[in-house]
Amino acid sequence: MAAPAVLAEQLSKTFLVAEKDPGFAGTLRHFVRRRYRRIEAVRGVSFEIAPGEVVGFLGPNGAGKTTTLKMLTGLVQPTSGRARVLGRDPYRREAALLRNLTLVMGNKQQLIWDLPVLDTLRVNAAVYEIPWAEAERRTAELAELLEIEGVLRQPVRKLSLGERMKAELLASLLHRPRVLFLDEPTLGLDVNAQLAVRRFLKAYRERYGATLLLTSHYMADIEALAERVIVIHEGRLLYDGPLGGLVERFAPFKEVRLVLARPAAAATFARYGEVEEAGGLRVRLLVEKERLTAVVAELLANFELRDLSVDEPPLEEVIGRVFAKGAV
Amino acid sequence: MLLAKVRTLLAVHFAYMLEYRAEIFFWILGGLAPFFFMAAWSEAARQGYTPYSPLEYARYFFAVFVARQLAIVWANWTFSDWVRSGKLSFYLLQPLDPMWRLLADHLGERGVRFPVLAVIGAVFAALFPGALVWPGWGALALGLAASALAFLLSFFVAYSVGLLAFWLEDATEIFELWYVLVLFFSGMLAPLSLYPEAVQRVLLWTPFPHLVYLPASYWSGLEPADARGFAVLLVWTLVFFAVTRLLWRLGRRRYSAMGA
Repeated sequence: MAAPAVLAEQLSKTFLVAEKDPGFAGTLRHFVRRRYRRIEAVRGVSFEIAPGEVVGFLGPNGAGKTTTLKMLTGLVQPTSGRARVLGRDPYRREAALLRNLTLVMGNKQQLIWDLPVLDTLRVNAAVYEIPWAEAERRTAELAELLEIEGVLRQPVRKLSLGERMKAELLASLLHRPRVLFLDEPTLGLDVNAQLAVRRFLKAYRERYGATLLLTSHYMADIEALAERVIVIHEGRLLYDGPLGGLVERFAPFKEVRLVLARPAAAATFARYGEVEEAGGLRVRLLVEKERLTAVVAELLANFELRDLSVDEPPLEEVIGRVFAKGAV
Repeated sequence: MLLAKVRTLLAVHFAYMLEYRAEIFFWILGGLAPFFFMAAWSEAARQGYTPYSPLEYARYFFAVFVARQLAIVWANWTFSDWVRSGKLSFYLLQPLDPMWRLLADHLGERGVRFPVLAVIGAVFAALFPGALVWPGWGALALGLAASALAFLLSFFVAYSVGLLAFWLEDATEIFELWYVLVLFFSGMLAPLSLYPEAVQRVLLWTPFPHLVYLPASYWSGLEPADARGFAVLLVWTLVFFAVTRLLWRLGRRRYSAMGA
Protein backbone atom coordinates (compact mmCIF):
# COMPACT_ATOMS: atom_id res chain seq x y z
CA MET A 1 0.00 0.00 0.00
CA ALA A 2 1.27 3.46 -0.93
CA ALA A 3 2.32 5.78 1.88
CA PRO A 4 -0.54 8.10 2.84
CA ALA A 5 -0.54 11.56 1.29
CA VAL A 6 -2.01 12.94 4.51
CA LEU A 7 -1.66 11.50 7.97
CA ALA A 8 -3.19 12.73 11.21
CA GLU A 9 -2.19 10.75 14.28
CA GLN A 10 -3.89 11.59 17.57
CA LEU A 11 -3.86 15.23 16.48
CA SER A 12 -4.92 17.67 19.22
CA LYS A 13 -4.91 21.42 19.58
CA THR A 14 -5.76 23.43 22.67
CA PHE A 15 -6.04 27.22 22.58
CA LEU A 16 -5.86 29.53 25.58
CA VAL A 17 -8.40 32.30 25.09
CA ALA A 18 -8.67 35.38 27.35
CA GLU A 19 -12.15 36.00 28.69
CA LYS A 20 -13.54 39.36 29.73
CA ASP A 21 -16.85 40.31 31.35
CA PRO A 22 -18.69 43.25 29.81
CA GLY A 23 -18.81 46.70 31.44
CA PHE A 24 -16.34 48.88 33.36
CA ALA A 25 -15.89 46.45 36.28
CA GLY A 26 -15.25 43.63 33.82
CA THR A 27 -12.65 45.75 32.04
CA LEU A 28 -10.86 46.53 35.33
CA ARG A 29 -10.86 42.89 36.40
CA HIS A 30 -9.56 41.92 32.95
CA PHE A 31 -6.76 44.48 33.29
CA VAL A 32 -5.70 43.42 36.81
CA ARG A 33 -6.15 39.70 36.57
CA ARG A 34 -6.61 38.18 33.16
CA ARG A 35 -8.73 35.04 33.02
CA TYR A 36 -8.10 32.39 30.41
CA ARG A 37 -10.18 29.53 29.16
CA ARG A 38 -8.73 26.42 27.54
CA ILE A 39 -10.47 25.52 24.33
CA GLU A 40 -9.81 22.03 23.10
CA ALA A 41 -10.44 22.68 19.43
CA VAL A 42 -9.25 19.25 18.22
CA ARG A 43 -9.02 16.16 20.43
CA GLY A 44 -7.05 13.13 19.30
CA VAL A 45 -8.15 13.04 15.67
CA SER A 46 -6.58 10.30 13.53
CA PHE A 47 -7.02 9.49 9.85
CA GLU A 48 -5.07 8.72 6.70
CA ILE A 49 -5.73 9.87 3.16
CA ALA A 50 -4.27 7.93 0.26
CA PRO A 51 -2.68 9.70 -2.72
CA GLY A 52 -5.35 10.76 -5.23
CA GLU A 53 -8.19 10.36 -2.76
CA VAL A 54 -10.89 13.05 -2.35
CA VAL A 55 -12.24 13.30 1.17
CA GLY A 56 -15.04 15.49 2.45
CA PHE A 57 -14.38 16.92 5.90
CA LEU A 58 -17.63 17.66 7.69
CA GLY A 59 -18.62 19.18 10.97
CA PRO A 60 -20.72 22.04 12.31
CA ASN A 61 -19.19 25.47 12.97
CA GLY A 62 -16.54 25.23 15.70
CA ALA A 63 -16.14 21.47 15.27
CA GLY A 64 -12.39 21.77 14.67
CA LYS A 65 -12.29 21.33 10.89
CA THR A 66 -10.37 24.51 10.13
CA THR A 67 -7.98 23.99 13.06
CA THR A 68 -7.24 20.48 11.74
CA LEU A 69 -6.56 21.93 8.29
CA LYS A 70 -4.29 24.55 9.85
CA MET A 71 -2.29 21.83 11.58
CA LEU A 72 -2.08 19.75 8.40
CA THR A 73 -0.81 22.75 6.45
CA GLY A 74 1.72 23.73 9.12
CA LEU A 75 0.08 27.04 10.04
CA VAL A 76 -0.35 26.07 13.66
CA GLN A 77 1.63 23.67 15.79
CA PRO A 78 -0.33 20.72 17.22
CA THR A 79 -0.50 20.62 21.02
CA SER A 80 0.04 16.88 20.71
CA GLY A 81 -0.08 14.19 18.07
CA ARG A 82 1.54 14.01 14.66
CA ALA A 83 0.72 15.51 11.28
CA ARG A 84 2.43 14.37 8.09
CA VAL A 85 1.80 15.46 4.53
CA LEU A 86 3.69 13.58 1.80
CA GLY A 87 5.74 12.10 4.62
CA ARG A 88 6.89 15.48 5.99
CA ASP A 89 6.06 17.49 9.08
CA PRO A 90 4.17 20.52 7.71
CA TYR A 91 5.06 22.74 10.68
CA ARG A 92 8.71 22.68 9.58
CA ARG A 93 7.77 24.48 6.34
CA GLU A 94 10.25 22.57 4.21
CA ALA A 95 10.30 24.01 0.69
CA ALA A 96 9.96 20.52 -0.82
CA LEU A 97 6.59 20.14 0.91
CA LEU A 98 5.36 23.70 0.48
CA ARG A 99 5.88 23.36 -3.28
CA ASN A 100 3.43 20.47 -3.23
CA LEU A 101 0.57 21.65 -1.07
CA THR A 102 -1.94 24.44 -0.99
CA LEU A 103 -4.73 25.70 1.21
CA VAL A 104 -7.66 27.53 -0.31
CA MET A 105 -9.83 29.45 2.12
CA GLY A 106 -13.21 30.60 0.89
CA ASN A 107 -13.32 33.44 3.40
CA LYS A 108 -9.79 34.73 2.82
CA GLN A 109 -7.76 35.70 -0.16
CA GLN A 110 -4.13 35.97 -1.11
CA LEU A 111 -4.74 38.08 -4.22
CA ILE A 112 -3.23 41.58 -4.10
CA TRP A 113 -6.34 43.72 -3.80
CA ASP A 114 -5.37 46.77 -5.84
CA LEU A 115 -3.45 45.05 -8.64
CA PRO A 116 -4.52 42.78 -11.50
CA VAL A 117 -4.67 39.03 -10.85
CA LEU A 118 -1.64 38.59 -13.12
CA ASP A 119 0.55 40.47 -10.62
CA THR A 120 -0.26 37.98 -7.86
CA LEU A 121 0.47 35.20 -10.35
CA ARG A 122 3.85 36.78 -11.17
CA VAL A 123 4.75 36.84 -7.48
CA ASN A 124 3.62 33.25 -7.00
CA ALA A 125 5.54 32.09 -10.07
CA ALA A 126 8.71 33.70 -8.67
CA VAL A 127 8.13 32.36 -5.15
CA TYR A 128 7.60 28.81 -6.44
CA GLU A 129 10.48 29.21 -8.91
CA ILE A 130 8.35 28.58 -11.99
CA PRO A 131 9.86 30.17 -15.13
CA TRP A 132 7.45 32.85 -16.37
CA ALA A 133 6.92 31.18 -19.77
CA GLU A 134 5.82 28.00 -17.99
CA ALA A 135 3.71 30.01 -15.53
CA GLU A 136 1.98 31.70 -18.48
CA ARG A 137 1.22 28.31 -20.02
CA ARG A 138 -0.22 27.04 -16.72
CA THR A 139 -2.18 30.26 -16.23
CA ALA A 140 -3.76 29.88 -19.68
CA GLU A 141 -4.65 26.26 -18.97
CA LEU A 142 -6.16 26.89 -15.53
CA ALA A 143 -7.90 30.10 -16.62
CA GLU A 144 -9.57 28.20 -19.44
CA LEU A 145 -10.78 25.49 -17.06
CA LEU A 146 -12.06 28.18 -14.69
CA GLU A 147 -13.43 30.35 -17.51
CA ILE A 148 -11.74 33.53 -16.29
CA GLU A 149 -9.39 34.29 -19.20
CA GLY A 150 -10.98 37.73 -19.60
CA VAL A 151 -10.45 39.08 -16.09
CA LEU A 152 -6.79 38.40 -15.36
CA ARG A 153 -5.75 41.96 -16.26
CA GLN A 154 -8.40 43.61 -14.08
CA PRO A 155 -7.65 44.83 -10.54
CA VAL A 156 -8.83 42.26 -8.02
CA ARG A 157 -11.10 44.81 -6.32
CA LYS A 158 -13.12 45.10 -9.55
CA LEU A 159 -13.91 41.36 -9.75
CA SER A 160 -17.14 39.71 -8.68
CA LEU A 161 -17.05 37.30 -5.74
CA GLY A 162 -17.23 34.32 -8.11
CA GLU A 163 -14.43 35.65 -10.31
CA ARG A 164 -12.32 36.36 -7.25
CA MET A 165 -12.75 32.84 -5.92
CA LYS A 166 -11.82 31.37 -9.28
CA ALA A 167 -8.77 33.66 -9.48
CA GLU A 168 -7.90 32.62 -5.94
CA LEU A 169 -8.00 28.97 -7.02
CA LEU A 170 -5.80 29.79 -9.98
CA ALA A 171 -3.24 31.54 -7.74
CA SER A 172 -3.31 28.66 -5.26
CA LEU A 173 -2.78 26.01 -7.93
CA LEU A 174 -0.25 27.68 -10.21
CA HIS A 175 2.52 25.58 -8.64
CA ARG A 176 0.49 22.40 -9.32
CA PRO A 177 0.30 21.12 -5.76
CA ARG A 178 -0.28 17.41 -5.21
CA VAL A 179 -2.20 17.92 -1.99
CA LEU A 180 -5.07 20.42 -1.80
CA PHE A 181 -6.72 21.52 1.42
CA LEU A 182 -9.91 23.38 0.64
CA ASP A 183 -11.78 25.21 3.37
CA GLU A 184 -15.23 26.24 2.14
CA PRO A 185 -14.09 26.97 -1.42
CA THR A 186 -17.63 27.74 -2.61
CA LEU A 187 -18.63 29.93 0.33
CA GLY A 188 -21.02 32.69 -0.73
CA LEU A 189 -20.93 31.79 -4.43
CA ASP A 190 -24.06 31.59 -6.57
CA VAL A 191 -25.19 28.22 -7.91
CA ASN A 192 -23.45 28.63 -11.28
CA ALA A 193 -20.16 29.63 -9.70
CA GLN A 194 -20.42 26.72 -7.24
CA LEU A 195 -20.92 24.33 -10.15
CA ALA A 196 -17.97 25.81 -12.03
CA VAL A 197 -15.67 25.44 -8.99
CA ARG A 198 -16.79 21.83 -8.48
CA ARG A 199 -16.22 21.02 -12.16
CA PHE A 200 -12.81 22.62 -11.98
CA LEU A 201 -11.71 20.72 -8.87
CA LYS A 202 -12.86 17.48 -10.43
CA ALA A 203 -10.93 18.20 -13.63
CA TYR A 204 -7.81 19.25 -11.71
CA ARG A 205 -7.88 16.09 -9.63
CA GLU A 206 -8.34 13.87 -12.68
CA ARG A 207 -5.59 15.63 -14.62
CA TYR A 208 -2.95 15.70 -11.88
CA GLY A 209 -4.01 12.86 -9.57
CA ALA A 210 -4.14 15.31 -6.68
CA THR A 211 -5.28 14.49 -3.16
CA LEU A 212 -8.11 16.67 -1.82
CA LEU A 213 -9.40 17.28 1.69
CA LEU A 214 -12.41 19.51 1.42
CA THR A 215 -14.67 21.19 3.95
CA SER A 216 -17.96 22.69 2.85
CA HIS A 217 -21.33 23.55 4.24
CA TYR A 218 -22.80 22.83 0.82
CA MET A 219 -23.50 19.11 0.73
CA ALA A 220 -23.66 19.32 -3.05
CA ASP A 221 -19.89 20.01 -3.01
CA ILE A 222 -19.25 16.91 -0.95
CA GLU A 223 -21.62 14.75 -2.97
CA ALA A 224 -20.11 15.90 -6.26
CA LEU A 225 -16.49 15.45 -5.26
CA ALA A 226 -15.97 13.08 -2.35
CA GLU A 227 -16.50 9.38 -2.04
CA ARG A 228 -15.29 9.30 1.52
CA VAL A 229 -16.19 11.62 4.37
CA ILE A 230 -14.69 12.34 7.75
CA VAL A 231 -17.07 13.83 10.28
CA ILE A 232 -15.85 15.64 13.37
CA HIS A 233 -17.86 17.19 16.14
CA GLU A 234 -16.56 19.11 19.17
CA GLY A 235 -13.02 18.25 18.11
CA ARG A 236 -13.57 14.48 18.01
CA LEU A 237 -13.81 12.18 15.04
CA LEU A 238 -17.34 10.84 14.67
CA TYR A 239 -17.23 9.01 11.39
CA ASP A 240 -14.70 8.08 8.73
CA GLY A 241 -15.93 6.07 5.79
CA PRO A 242 -17.81 6.06 2.51
CA LEU A 243 -20.39 8.78 1.91
CA GLY A 244 -23.09 6.13 1.36
CA GLY A 245 -22.18 4.52 4.66
CA LEU A 246 -22.87 7.77 6.45
CA VAL A 247 -26.48 7.70 5.24
CA GLU A 248 -26.77 3.98 6.13
CA ARG A 249 -25.40 4.53 9.58
CA PHE A 250 -27.03 7.75 10.62
CA ALA A 251 -30.25 7.72 8.63
CA PRO A 252 -32.17 4.48 9.13
CA PHE A 253 -35.09 6.11 7.35
CA LYS A 254 -36.32 7.02 3.90
CA GLU A 255 -37.92 10.16 2.68
CA VAL A 256 -41.49 9.76 1.42
CA ARG A 257 -42.96 12.60 -0.63
CA LEU A 258 -46.67 12.83 -1.34
CA VAL A 259 -48.77 15.08 -3.52
CA LEU A 260 -52.37 14.89 -2.24
CA ALA A 261 -55.52 15.31 -4.30
CA ARG A 262 -57.15 17.18 -1.39
CA PRO A 263 -55.45 19.02 1.50
CA ALA A 264 -55.19 17.18 4.81
CA ALA A 265 -54.16 18.31 8.32
CA ALA A 266 -50.49 17.79 9.25
CA ALA A 267 -51.46 15.87 12.38
CA THR A 268 -53.04 13.17 10.21
CA PHE A 269 -49.59 12.01 9.08
CA ALA A 270 -47.87 11.84 12.47
CA ARG A 271 -48.58 8.14 12.89
CA TYR A 272 -46.73 7.28 9.64
CA GLY A 273 -43.40 8.87 10.50
CA GLU A 274 -41.65 12.13 11.22
CA VAL A 275 -43.52 14.93 9.47
CA GLU A 276 -41.02 17.27 7.83
CA GLU A 277 -43.49 19.22 5.72
CA ALA A 278 -47.30 19.13 5.58
CA GLY A 279 -50.37 21.36 5.70
CA GLY A 280 -51.15 21.78 2.02
CA LEU A 281 -51.12 19.37 -0.87
CA ARG A 282 -47.47 18.50 -0.42
CA VAL A 283 -46.30 16.25 2.41
CA ARG A 284 -42.78 15.12 3.28
CA LEU A 285 -42.26 12.32 5.77
CA LEU A 286 -39.24 10.50 7.18
CA VAL A 287 -40.21 6.87 7.61
CA GLU A 288 -38.17 4.15 9.31
CA LYS A 289 -36.85 1.68 6.76
CA GLU A 290 -38.44 -1.38 8.47
CA ARG A 291 -41.88 0.18 8.33
CA LEU A 292 -41.57 1.59 4.82
CA THR A 293 -43.56 -1.03 2.91
CA ALA A 294 -46.41 -1.05 5.42
CA VAL A 295 -46.54 2.75 5.60
CA VAL A 296 -46.64 3.16 1.82
CA ALA A 297 -49.45 0.60 1.59
CA GLU A 298 -51.42 2.44 4.28
CA LEU A 299 -50.90 5.82 2.64
CA LEU A 300 -52.14 4.46 -0.70
CA ALA A 301 -55.16 2.94 1.02
CA ASN A 302 -56.08 5.94 3.19
CA PHE A 303 -55.45 8.95 0.91
CA GLU A 304 -56.22 9.93 -2.62
CA LEU A 305 -52.72 10.62 -3.99
CA ARG A 306 -51.60 12.35 -7.16
CA ASP A 307 -47.99 11.30 -6.62
CA LEU A 308 -45.84 9.31 -4.22
CA SER A 309 -42.05 9.01 -4.28
CA VAL A 310 -39.56 7.33 -1.97
CA ASP A 311 -35.96 8.50 -1.79
CA GLU A 312 -32.86 8.69 0.41
CA PRO A 313 -33.16 11.67 2.78
CA PRO A 314 -31.13 14.76 1.80
CA LEU A 315 -27.53 14.58 3.02
CA GLU A 316 -27.95 17.89 4.88
CA GLU A 317 -30.61 16.26 7.00
CA VAL A 318 -28.45 13.23 7.74
CA ILE A 319 -25.51 15.40 8.71
CA GLY A 320 -27.77 17.58 10.85
CA ARG A 321 -28.89 14.49 12.74
CA VAL A 322 -25.32 13.32 13.20
CA PHE A 323 -24.37 16.65 14.73
CA ALA A 324 -27.51 16.81 16.87
CA LYS A 325 -26.78 13.32 18.14
CA GLY A 326 -23.13 14.25 18.73
CA ALA A 327 -21.92 10.66 19.05
CA VAL A 328 -21.69 7.48 17.06
CA MET B 1 16.88 32.20 -7.53
CA LEU B 2 16.44 34.37 -4.43
CA LEU B 3 17.48 37.34 -6.55
CA ALA B 4 14.77 36.53 -9.11
CA LYS B 5 12.20 36.33 -6.31
CA VAL B 6 13.32 39.65 -4.83
CA ARG B 7 13.31 41.29 -8.28
CA THR B 8 9.72 40.20 -8.96
CA LEU B 9 8.60 41.15 -5.46
CA LEU B 10 10.18 44.59 -5.90
CA ALA B 11 8.50 45.16 -9.27
CA VAL B 12 5.07 44.11 -7.98
CA HIS B 13 5.37 46.02 -4.71
CA PHE B 14 6.49 49.11 -6.64
CA ALA B 15 3.33 48.79 -8.75
CA TYR B 16 1.30 48.31 -5.57
CA MET B 17 2.80 51.36 -3.90
CA LEU B 18 2.25 53.40 -7.03
CA GLU B 19 -1.46 52.85 -6.42
CA TYR B 20 -0.96 54.69 -3.12
CA ARG B 21 1.15 57.55 -4.55
CA ALA B 22 -1.11 60.28 -3.15
CA GLU B 23 -0.94 58.77 0.33
CA ILE B 24 2.84 58.52 0.11
CA PHE B 25 3.05 62.17 -0.99
CA PHE B 26 1.14 63.30 2.09
CA TRP B 27 3.20 60.96 4.23
CA ILE B 28 6.36 62.68 3.00
CA LEU B 29 4.83 66.08 3.78
CA GLY B 30 4.24 64.78 7.31
CA GLY B 31 8.01 64.26 7.60
CA LEU B 32 8.93 67.91 7.05
CA ALA B 33 9.68 68.44 10.79
CA PRO B 34 13.47 68.90 10.20
CA PHE B 35 12.66 72.08 8.24
CA PHE B 36 10.94 73.56 11.31
CA PHE B 37 14.02 72.81 13.40
CA MET B 38 16.06 74.33 10.60
CA ALA B 39 14.05 77.57 10.85
CA ALA B 40 14.55 77.74 14.63
CA TRP B 41 18.31 77.07 14.48
CA SER B 42 18.81 79.44 11.56
CA GLU B 43 17.17 82.21 13.56
CA ALA B 44 19.42 81.40 16.54
CA ALA B 45 22.40 81.55 14.16
CA ARG B 46 21.31 84.94 12.84
CA GLN B 47 21.31 86.20 16.42
CA GLY B 48 24.80 84.79 16.90
CA TYR B 49 24.00 82.11 19.49
CA THR B 50 25.40 79.09 17.62
CA PRO B 51 28.65 78.16 15.88
CA TYR B 52 27.11 77.49 12.44
CA SER B 53 25.70 79.86 9.81
CA PRO B 54 22.01 79.78 8.67
CA LEU B 55 23.14 78.33 5.33
CA GLU B 56 25.03 75.52 7.09
CA TYR B 57 21.93 74.73 9.12
CA ALA B 58 19.84 74.67 5.94
CA ARG B 59 22.33 72.22 4.36
CA TYR B 60 22.43 70.06 7.48
CA PHE B 61 18.69 69.83 8.05
CA PHE B 62 18.01 69.06 4.40
CA ALA B 63 20.43 66.15 4.75
CA VAL B 64 18.62 65.14 7.97
CA PHE B 65 15.31 65.24 6.11
CA VAL B 66 16.62 62.98 3.33
CA ALA B 67 18.26 60.57 5.80
CA ARG B 68 14.99 60.27 7.71
CA GLN B 69 12.96 59.73 4.55
CA LEU B 70 15.24 56.92 3.41
CA ALA B 71 14.97 55.14 6.76
CA ILE B 72 11.19 55.30 7.21
CA VAL B 73 9.74 51.89 8.11
CA TRP B 74 6.33 50.46 8.93
CA ALA B 75 7.12 46.76 9.30
CA ASN B 76 5.71 46.89 12.84
CA TRP B 77 2.29 47.90 11.57
CA THR B 78 2.17 45.60 8.53
CA PHE B 79 3.39 42.47 10.29
CA SER B 80 1.10 43.02 13.26
CA ASP B 81 -1.79 43.34 10.80
CA TRP B 82 -0.77 40.09 9.07
CA VAL B 83 -0.83 38.25 12.41
CA ARG B 84 -4.08 39.75 13.66
CA SER B 85 -5.99 39.33 10.39
CA GLY B 86 -4.59 35.88 9.63
CA LYS B 87 -3.08 37.08 6.36
CA LEU B 88 0.23 35.66 7.50
CA SER B 89 -1.22 32.20 6.82
CA PHE B 90 -0.88 32.66 3.05
CA TYR B 91 2.75 33.66 3.39
CA LEU B 92 3.46 30.71 5.69
CA LEU B 93 2.15 28.39 3.00
CA GLN B 94 4.72 29.58 0.51
CA PRO B 95 8.41 28.63 0.34
CA LEU B 96 9.63 32.14 1.09
CA ASP B 97 10.27 33.75 4.45
CA PRO B 98 7.57 36.45 4.93
CA MET B 99 10.34 38.86 5.90
CA TRP B 100 11.31 39.16 2.24
CA ARG B 101 7.82 40.34 1.32
CA LEU B 102 7.97 42.90 4.07
CA LEU B 103 11.35 44.10 2.85
CA ALA B 104 10.13 44.27 -0.75
CA ASP B 105 7.14 46.29 0.45
CA HIS B 106 9.52 48.91 1.89
CA LEU B 107 11.97 48.93 -1.00
CA GLY B 108 9.17 49.15 -3.58
CA GLU B 109 7.83 52.17 -1.74
CA ARG B 110 11.26 53.83 -1.91
CA GLY B 111 10.89 53.75 -5.69
CA VAL B 112 7.77 55.91 -5.40
CA ARG B 113 9.28 58.13 -2.70
CA PHE B 114 12.49 59.01 -4.60
CA PRO B 115 10.91 61.18 -7.33
CA VAL B 116 8.93 63.16 -4.72
CA LEU B 117 12.14 63.71 -2.73
CA ALA B 118 13.85 64.94 -5.88
CA VAL B 119 11.07 67.51 -6.41
CA ILE B 120 11.30 68.66 -2.77
CA GLY B 121 15.09 68.94 -3.22
CA ALA B 122 14.63 71.13 -6.31
CA VAL B 123 12.15 73.40 -4.48
CA PHE B 124 14.51 73.60 -1.49
CA ALA B 125 17.47 74.53 -3.71
CA ALA B 126 15.38 77.30 -5.29
CA LEU B 127 14.25 78.66 -1.92
CA PHE B 128 17.71 78.51 -0.30
CA PRO B 129 20.29 79.30 -2.99
CA GLY B 130 23.73 78.05 -2.03
CA ALA B 131 22.42 75.76 0.70
CA LEU B 132 22.87 72.56 -1.29
CA VAL B 133 26.42 71.81 -2.36
CA TRP B 134 27.80 68.74 -4.11
CA PRO B 135 29.37 66.61 -1.36
CA GLY B 136 31.57 64.65 -3.79
CA TRP B 137 31.09 61.08 -5.00
CA GLY B 138 32.86 59.52 -2.04
CA ALA B 139 30.86 61.36 0.64
CA LEU B 140 27.64 60.77 -1.29
CA ALA B 141 28.30 57.02 -1.51
CA LEU B 142 29.35 56.75 2.15
CA GLY B 143 26.24 58.69 3.20
CA LEU B 144 24.07 56.38 1.13
CA ALA B 145 25.78 53.33 2.60
CA ALA B 146 25.17 54.68 6.13
CA SER B 147 21.59 55.42 5.16
CA ALA B 148 21.09 51.88 3.81
CA LEU B 149 22.41 50.42 7.06
CA ALA B 150 20.22 52.82 9.03
CA PHE B 151 17.22 51.63 7.03
CA LEU B 152 18.06 47.97 7.66
CA LEU B 153 18.46 48.55 11.39
CA SER B 154 15.18 50.51 11.60
CA PHE B 155 13.51 47.74 9.59
CA PHE B 156 14.66 45.00 11.96
CA VAL B 157 13.65 47.04 15.02
CA ALA B 158 10.17 47.66 13.54
CA TYR B 159 9.89 44.01 12.47
CA SER B 160 10.82 42.91 16.01
CA VAL B 161 8.02 45.09 17.35
CA GLY B 162 5.62 43.66 14.75
CA LEU B 163 6.60 40.12 15.79
CA LEU B 164 5.40 40.92 19.32
CA ALA B 165 1.88 40.63 17.85
CA PHE B 166 2.29 36.88 18.42
CA TRP B 167 2.09 37.68 22.15
CA LEU B 168 0.35 41.04 22.46
CA GLU B 169 -2.93 42.17 21.00
CA ASP B 170 -1.46 45.34 19.60
CA ALA B 171 2.23 46.04 19.90
CA THR B 172 2.67 48.48 17.05
CA GLU B 173 2.81 51.56 19.28
CA ILE B 174 5.88 50.26 21.10
CA PHE B 175 7.75 51.46 18.05
CA GLU B 176 6.83 55.04 19.04
CA LEU B 177 9.33 54.70 21.88
CA TRP B 178 12.04 54.00 19.30
CA TYR B 179 10.91 57.04 17.36
CA VAL B 180 11.14 59.29 20.45
CA LEU B 181 14.72 58.11 21.07
CA VAL B 182 15.54 58.73 17.40
CA LEU B 183 14.03 62.21 17.64
CA PHE B 184 16.17 63.23 20.61
CA PHE B 185 19.42 61.38 19.98
CA SER B 186 19.84 61.04 16.23
CA GLY B 187 20.60 64.63 15.37
CA MET B 188 17.11 65.42 14.15
CA LEU B 189 16.54 68.20 16.72
CA ALA B 190 20.01 69.67 16.50
CA PRO B 191 23.48 68.73 15.26
CA LEU B 192 24.95 66.34 17.83
CA SER B 193 28.13 68.44 17.98
CA LEU B 194 26.02 70.91 20.01
CA TYR B 195 25.25 68.24 22.66
CA PRO B 196 27.42 68.03 25.83
CA GLU B 197 30.55 65.96 25.23
CA ALA B 198 29.66 63.35 27.86
CA VAL B 199 26.31 62.75 26.14
CA GLN B 200 28.05 62.49 22.77
CA ARG B 201 30.46 59.89 24.15
CA VAL B 202 27.62 57.72 25.46
CA LEU B 203 25.51 58.14 22.35
CA LEU B 204 28.34 56.93 20.15
CA TRP B 205 27.66 53.35 21.32
CA THR B 206 23.93 53.57 20.72
CA PRO B 207 22.50 53.23 17.22
CA PHE B 208 20.67 56.58 17.29
CA PRO B 209 23.25 59.13 16.12
CA HIS B 210 24.32 56.87 13.27
CA LEU B 211 20.80 56.59 11.92
CA VAL B 212 20.62 60.25 10.90
CA TYR B 213 23.68 62.18 11.98
CA LEU B 214 26.16 59.88 10.23
CA PRO B 215 24.66 60.11 6.71
CA ALA B 216 23.77 63.78 7.28
CA SER B 217 27.38 64.52 8.23
CA TYR B 218 28.68 62.92 5.02
CA TRP B 219 26.20 64.84 2.87
CA SER B 220 26.31 68.23 4.61
CA GLY B 221 29.96 68.28 5.63
CA LEU B 222 28.93 70.21 8.75
CA GLU B 223 31.28 68.13 10.94
CA PRO B 224 33.64 65.33 9.93
CA ALA B 225 31.66 62.07 9.85
CA ASP B 226 32.73 59.49 12.41
CA ALA B 227 33.27 56.28 10.42
CA ARG B 228 33.10 54.24 13.64
CA GLY B 229 29.36 54.71 13.24
CA PHE B 230 29.35 52.04 10.50
CA ALA B 231 30.65 49.43 12.91
CA VAL B 232 28.14 50.45 15.60
CA LEU B 233 25.29 50.38 13.08
CA LEU B 234 26.38 47.00 11.77
CA VAL B 235 26.55 45.47 15.24
CA TRP B 236 23.10 46.78 16.20
CA THR B 237 21.69 45.62 12.87
CA LEU B 238 23.02 42.11 13.50
CA VAL B 239 21.67 42.16 17.05
CA PHE B 240 18.17 43.10 15.93
CA PHE B 241 18.33 40.66 13.02
CA ALA B 242 19.05 37.92 15.58
CA VAL B 243 16.16 39.21 17.70
CA THR B 244 13.77 38.95 14.73
CA ARG B 245 14.89 35.36 14.06
CA LEU B 246 14.38 34.40 17.70
CA LEU B 247 10.98 36.09 17.97
CA TRP B 248 9.92 34.47 14.68
CA ARG B 249 10.85 30.99 15.91
CA LEU B 250 9.17 31.43 19.30
CA GLY B 251 6.22 33.40 18.02
CA ARG B 252 5.22 30.97 15.29
CA ARG B 253 4.40 28.41 17.99
CA ARG B 254 1.82 30.83 19.33
CA TYR B 255 0.27 31.67 15.97
CA SER B 256 -3.32 30.56 15.84
CA ALA B 257 -4.02 31.77 12.28
CA MET B 258 -7.14 33.50 13.53
CA GLY B 259 -9.42 34.84 10.89
CA ALA B 260 -7.97 32.38 8.45
